[in-house]
Amino acid sequence: MKRIVTMKSLVFLTALYVTLFILLPAQAKARPIKVGVIDCYTGPAAMFCKEALEGFELALNEINKEGVLGSKIEFTTRDTKFKVDVGLSMAKELVMRENVDILVGTISSGVALAVSDYCRGEKVPFLVWISKSERITGEKGHRYVFSTGENTAMFGKAGGVALSKKPFIKYWITGDDYEYGHAIADAAWRNLKQRKPEVEKIGESWWKVGEPDLVPYINAIMAAEPDAVIFCTGGGSMVNVMKTAKATGMSDKIPVWIPTATDTTILRALGPGGPEGMMGTSDYLFYHPDTSDNREFVKAFQDAYGKYPAFPGFQGYITAHFIAEAFKKAGALDKEKFIDALEGLKIESPAGEIEMRACDHQVVLPIFMGVTKKVPEYDFLITTDIITLTGDDVMPTCEEIMKARGE
Amino acid sequence: MEIDLAALASQLVVGISRAMILFIVCAGLSFVLGVLRVPNIAHGSLYMIGAFSAYSIAMRLFGGSSAGFWLALILAPLVVALVSLVTERVLFCHLYEREHLMLLLFTFALMLIFGDLVKIIWGAEYRSVSAPDLLRGSVSMFGASIPRYNLFLLIIGPLVAIGLWLFTNKTKMGKISRAAAVDREMVGLIGINVSWVFAAAFVIGCCLAGLGGSLVAPTVSVTLGMDHTIIIEAFLIVTIGGLGNMWGALVGSLIFGVTHSFGVLLWPQFAIVFPYAAVVIVLLLRPRGLLKSVW
Repeated sequence: MKRIVTMKSLVFLTALYVTLFILLPAQAKARPIKVGVIDCYTGPAAMFCKEALEGFELALNEINKEGVLGSKIEFTTRDTKFKVDVGLSMAKELVMRENVDILVGTISSGVALAVSDYCRGEKVPFLVWISKSERITGEKGHRYVFSTGENTAMFGKAGGVALSKKPFIKYWITGDDYEYGHAIADAAWRNLKQRKPEVEKIGESWWKVGEPDLVPYINAIMAAEPDAVIFCTGGGSMVNVMKTAKATGMSDKIPVWIPTATDTTILRALGPGGPEGMMGTSDYLFYHPDTSDNREFVKAFQDAYGKYPAFPGFQGYITAHFIAEAFKKAGALDKEKFIDALEGLKIESPAGEIEMRACDHQVVLPIFMGVTKKVPEYDFLITTDIITLTGDDVMPTCEEIMKARGE
Repeated sequence: MEIDLAALASQLVVGISRAMILFIVCAGLSFVLGVLRVPNIAHGSLYMIGAFSAYSIAMRLFGGSSAGFWLALILAPLVVALVSLVTERVLFCHLYEREHLMLLLFTFALMLIFGDLVKIIWGAEYRSVSAPDLLRGSVSMFGASIPRYNLFLLIIGPLVAIGLWLFTNKTKMGKISRAAAVDREMVGLIGINVSWVFAAAFVIGCCLAGLGGSLVAPTVSVTLGMDHTIIIEAFLIVTIGGLGNMWGALVGSLIFGVTHSFGVLLWPQFAIVFPYAAVVIVLLLRPRGLLKSVW
């Protein structure tokens, strides 16, 4: 009897050895999927980048519960400091030393374009979030770069179309003197002028990014008495612009369109004292559409980070899901198969079903236009009178993209 | 675009009001430069800490009430004073004998440390401070509307200038500081504890940065990176005004603020260039600054 027990334990031990020496190394072979995140975690842009990372992390926590192709998605971050050279060397370091499978980032269009160019040479997929230059998936687009956020062409077209339906003739264009500002201005004006040729640009003014005092600019604009003003400001300047528009009384006197005036990040920072009636555009609103998917995402985000998600959180979240779904569809940890799978991939998101357009690798997102308004439910302003434009309404066609790329 | 006198006048008012904040910050920087001979690059960080402290006091402790703003205006500079006192006693006081390059590097390191501390304490979110009811909205002047808050700055600036003048000319402490600025060895030789004079001068200079930060808070977004923006302008102003000369800081700030606001009106596409062009012209004509430099 005793002998049999020993035999049993021998069998058990053998089984254990088998598990340890054969199965475990086999499992270790299913290595984690490594994602390198390069973004700006210092300075005023850090707020957006941190939130994108939070959305990304939230999604990965869900995804990693069951895993992708039997492994988990891991990520490591690097700070670009909003500088092209730093961003590029961080990208190189992640690809060459950390051997990441995919790169993700970044808020700066300049960094995104430089890293995109590098990824093209190294054949590493690069998913761009937050940064909005239309050149990323437009004229500078290629097989290895994708965008999971709306871009200046989409925002500009949305603004141009909306403004062409308003009675304004004399416009003043103003904004931050950098890629994003000018790109929005060009796209909005091009689309507006196309639809309503009688509009007239009576002046322009551009301030340096981070300019603390905008009162002289706004005073000068008001002195010129335009019918409406197009502000092409992003990120850090938004709060200043909104405050100054209110303090100078401009928001009561002159209609204003700012691409991101209705964005939650900005309205949240302004609190209850933000200016009402500003026209703006956003690709994600946590209270619209009021679907169960959106409510679930908002609740999970609030539980994890104690705030309502805004567009960066949403973009980070869908980026993670695009990566996971594309690897599942590809069925292998292979970069080329991943890209083939991601092209034309449709996923469920808090804002409904969204698609990664195959021809230019630009995500097709709905765009919400509306005006800011104070409501009792929140201690900051929200968007009302929302008009939803589908991606197809505002995106350049595939033919236009190919023409821009010279293909 | 035709330019009328009304627009010019309102731009002048707006430009001068901006200059008042610059003056308050630069007077502090200049004071530290004059007395301690320290080119304090971390001065901008103390301005940022002042703004964030004002946010915490006005919005967090007092829920954005008017009283909260006025208290923040007094308490935030004191928070900065405390931070600078600790910095001076623990770190700076051991370094005064080092050469300027070392001090420059040291204050640069401090700027990075303060920047990260602010990120750790307040996070990366944009913060906003509401102006008190009295100072909200705008008033009509010369046919243009000027924010009340800018008019308030026009009152505060001269008050600070008068206060500084009284301090440096009428108090013993101020007189010693001025003497130390001219000849610090001599001040030590006649039996004055130079170490504490330096500490006091440093704290007063930094306190002004904190005051500037809390004054600017209601007009801008309180955010990381506001230290970098101000410190470049502040050094330019202090240089054109004359290193270490507080009245130079006033003149420099006025030049900077007014050329900026006029530039916006006259040639909006290139407005960025105007204040810097003014700096270049001043330095070409008077390389050592407009007023007497103590260096």
